[in-house]
Amino acid sequence: MQQQPPKGPEKPSRRDFLRIGTKRGGSAPAGAAAPTRSAASASVTEPRTAEAVSGDAAQAKLPPLAPWTDPRMRLIRRATYGPRASDISDVKTLGYQRWLNDQVNYATRIDNSALEADVVMRWPNLSRSAAELAPLDINMLRTELTNATMYRAVFSKHQLYERMVEFWTDHFSIDINKVNHLKLVDDRAVIRRHAMGKFGDLLKASAKSPAMLLYLDQNLSRVGAPNQNYARELMELHTLGVDGGYTQRDVEELSRVLTGWTISATGEFVFTPARHDFGAKTVLGVTIPASSSTVGLEAVKEGEQILDLLINHPSTARFLATKLLKWFVTPEPTTEQVDAVAGAYRATGGDIKRMVRATLNEGWLAQAPLKMKRPYHLVVSALRNTSALVVNINNAVGVAGSLGQPMFQFLTPDGFPDGMEYWAGNITPRWAFLTTLAASTSTTTYRVNVSPYLTGTPDAALDVLNAELFGGEMAPATRTLLRNYIAGGTINEARMRETLGLALCSHEFQWY
Amino acid sequence: MSHHDHSHESGCPEYRGLSRREFIASSSSLSAAALVFPDWLPRITFANNFSSTRDIIVSVFLRGAADGMAMVIPHFEPRYFSLRPNIRTPAPDSLAANRAIALDNRFSIPPAMSGLLPAYRAGDLLVMHAAGQRTNNSRSHFDAQRYMEVGKPADPDISSGWLGRHLATVPPIAAAPVLRGIGLSTGLAKTLVGAPQTLPIADPANYGIGGSATTRAARMALLKDNYEGSVNPLRAAALDAVGTIDVLSRLNINAYTPASGATYPNTGFARGLRSIAALIKSDIGLEAASIDIGGWDTHAMQDPNGGQMANVMRQFAQGLGAFWADVVSTGYRVTVVAMSEFGRNVPENGSAGTDHGRASVMFAMGKRIAGGRVYVQSWPGIEAAQLENRMDLQVTLDYRDVLAEIVQNRLENKNLSFVFPGWTPTFRGVTK
Repeated sequence: MQQQPPKGPEKPSRRDFLRIGTKRGGSAPAGAAAPTRSAASASVTEPRTAEAVSGDAAQAKLPPLAPWTDPRMRLIRRATYGPRASDISDVKTLGYQRWLNDQVNYATRIDNSALEADVVMRWPNLSRSAAELAPLDINMLRTELTNATMYRAVFSKHQLYERMVEFWTDHFSIDINKVNHLKLVDDRAVIRRHAMGKFGDLLKASAKSPAMLLYLDQNLSRVGAPNQNYARELMELHTLGVDGGYTQRDVEELSRVLTGWTISATGEFVFTPARHDFGAKTVLGVTIPASSSTVGLEAVKEGEQILDLLINHPSTARFLATKLLKWFVTPEPTTEQVDAVAGAYRATGGDIKRMVRATLNEGWLAQAPLKMKRPYHLVVSALRNTSALVVNINNAVGVAGSLGQPMFQFLTPDGFPDGMEYWAGNITPRWAFLTTLAASTSTTTYRVNVSPYLTGTPDAALDVLNAELFGGEMAPATRTLLRNYIAGGTINEARMRETLGLALCSHEFQWY
Repeated sequence: MSHHDHSHESGCPEYRGLSRREFIASSSSLSAAALVFPDWLPRITFANNFSSTRDIIVSVFLRGAADGMAMVIPHFEPRYFSLRPNIRTPAPDSLAANRAIALDNRFSIPPAMSGLLPAYRAGDLLVMHAAGQRTNNSRSHFDAQRYMEVGKPADPDISSGWLGRHLATVPPIAAAPVLRGIGLSTGLAKTLVGAPQTLPIADPANYGIGGSATTRAARMALLKDNYEGSVNPLRAAALDAVGTIDVLSRLNINAYTPASGATYPNTGFARGLRSIAALIKSDIGLEAASIDIGGWDTHAMQDPNGGQMANVMRQFAQGLGAFWADVVSTGYRVTVVAMSEFGRNVPENGSAGTDHGRASVMFAMGKRIAGGRVYVQSWPGIEAAQLENRMDLQVTLDYRDVLAEIVQNRLENKNLSFVFPGWTPTFRGVTK
């Protein structure tokens, strides 16, 4: 009995909308540097409005910075949390393809055992079972998970893998404050286990992850009283995408299929036939006939059948391809790019390695618009590029949170946003952190050693800065500004720390 | 179209009592003995051009699909109580201690919402029911929030927000504004995208780059030069930030004392409103603020009397109640509007919660809001045949009608076809 919603009197096309903007007159203001704006959208009444008012700034395809010419640098900017000198020498030795191949096949090609041993020693509870974790203090466990995650992002040699862990953590976003210790199990047994494996395995693990089922209220769903929360997000966020071709009816039916998928008292996945709806259901055109409760535990296969349907659905391939392209390459992937990455998915049965390789295409990265580091990325890259000595990373975890990315604590299941229009405005707190980091001599959190910069002349210091922070591709204008700043005072440690802070605060360091 | 163009010349006497300009002027002309100069006031002077009669707008977004049927109860519908056996608030004429409080003969609020009663009884709070997005029935939080914030449902191409386009098409209210819009968050809400001189600032009381005070000016100057050579949106944001750091560093928001004995509770939402109040009163030229309150996605055990729903309603009502006492009741030109992306099923689900539905409630608050009543464009009813999908309250009041009337009558912007493309609003008497 759905009422047809009334239609607005007119539905202007996008072109019409932009025309509304241009009617307002006023030419593009002098001095407003907006080299990439199209003429159509660049005029309203206010100077800085002009570029932004159509909202296209959100999706702006900003060209790479002029000095960023080396394709190998482009690759490691996108595939790591900030290229360190050792990464740069690696990629220059190995070349684009071999470096990428090593990163994709990280498990066999790059020995990371020292870091893993370090992590196990520092955070011993990460490997425990749900039952073992349950009695432990959640604040301690949350600290272990966040700290270990950021520590790995900073120090792991498996940089591309860690970028994928972040990607899937957002894709299957869970607020740890709702599920407590179960997120530690999800992080280990779902996200990290399958981050570079097969998407089907990842999805199936997530669908039976107690943390996910608890987070999206699946544990409460039962025959006669289905809860739609998980069923909806399973299609909207995890597989098909909101435009992937499902209806509200499919949500309702899938929620019935999944009745009985729940959690045991000890925090394990369990299928409970007594809670299952054995009536006939139709999801995405596939009918599951009615059965009787004597089927018992076998009825879990109804849900598994639908998971397979979702995994093999063409919308899933395209949805994941689009998200991966946005993550690594461009805010607006082309049809050709989506076709290519979705093709890799279909051809390999959802092999994430192959999708990632297809996404990190050398030709595409050569054209790839700038991406802005999210707070977590910024904090990690600053620790990496300053070669900070990290005594206790918990303070840096807190900084990421105060900049807008409290780890594992995004409230809603869509994960942290990735658009620069969302993050760009919060620049002041970034500057504050980067200034503090460069000045830090702390023996309890992290500290930066600036003696490598203090070798003599301002130019020598700037050469080190260029190598450490910008991969040798620092913009000449920035170099001039920093050189003037150093030269404006005595070259001593305090001045050098301020200069390092300013280099970190520069706009170039916000991009990757 | 039926635009009611209200004249401002006949403005309310309350407003005459205290304009912001007069407030500043009188404060500074009185002797220290006669008036203790509040130490949070800016020690800076702006050009005297507050000739505008426009309101400052505070847009509140209830994220997660707020259950309008729990916030404003249609107690005249007997079926309401039978559809919600485990999550109902007792009718106002019951004897239960946690009974609802009647707003009129048909609608009531649960005790957790009682923080809004003073504003309602003063005639400053308008409650609107069966409100939402008439032309979009997405049950996706993320789509629906986006559509509401951009001001045009079901158009994936628009990225700027309705408030962003509003600010882009009116002149500033101050001669040299630094911060025209603010979002009380770490990222810019979609509502504000496209707005000039607008920043997300999670904590306006603590906003600066730190480091040595001796070198700060030189470092700020260097960053300004550096970001002049950047690209938007980062370039514009950074240059606005440089100016805003300068202005906010001269305020002492931490020492701000609310008026009328208003007490902001210690919640993120109320702390944000308190900062907005301080910024409004410090006359820096702020025109718009956006603030979120989350926690409304009550799929399970929502309990409007003691559980999650009660908690979040209390935060909402106490926060807005304090803002009313502090800012609205004291005569500042402010309009507050609150909305949520959609409502929830009228019947409760099997988890003593509610799943995604359609219509919810909206609120508007201000001295020039036609408040003190519950406005219903037409009550859709909650009999099975009256519910959308047999589950949901139909939307009879489109949110754009409410916002458009506020934009034109309270914010003095007649560019409604630009702010709300594709929508010809019908004014509903929200403003006066």
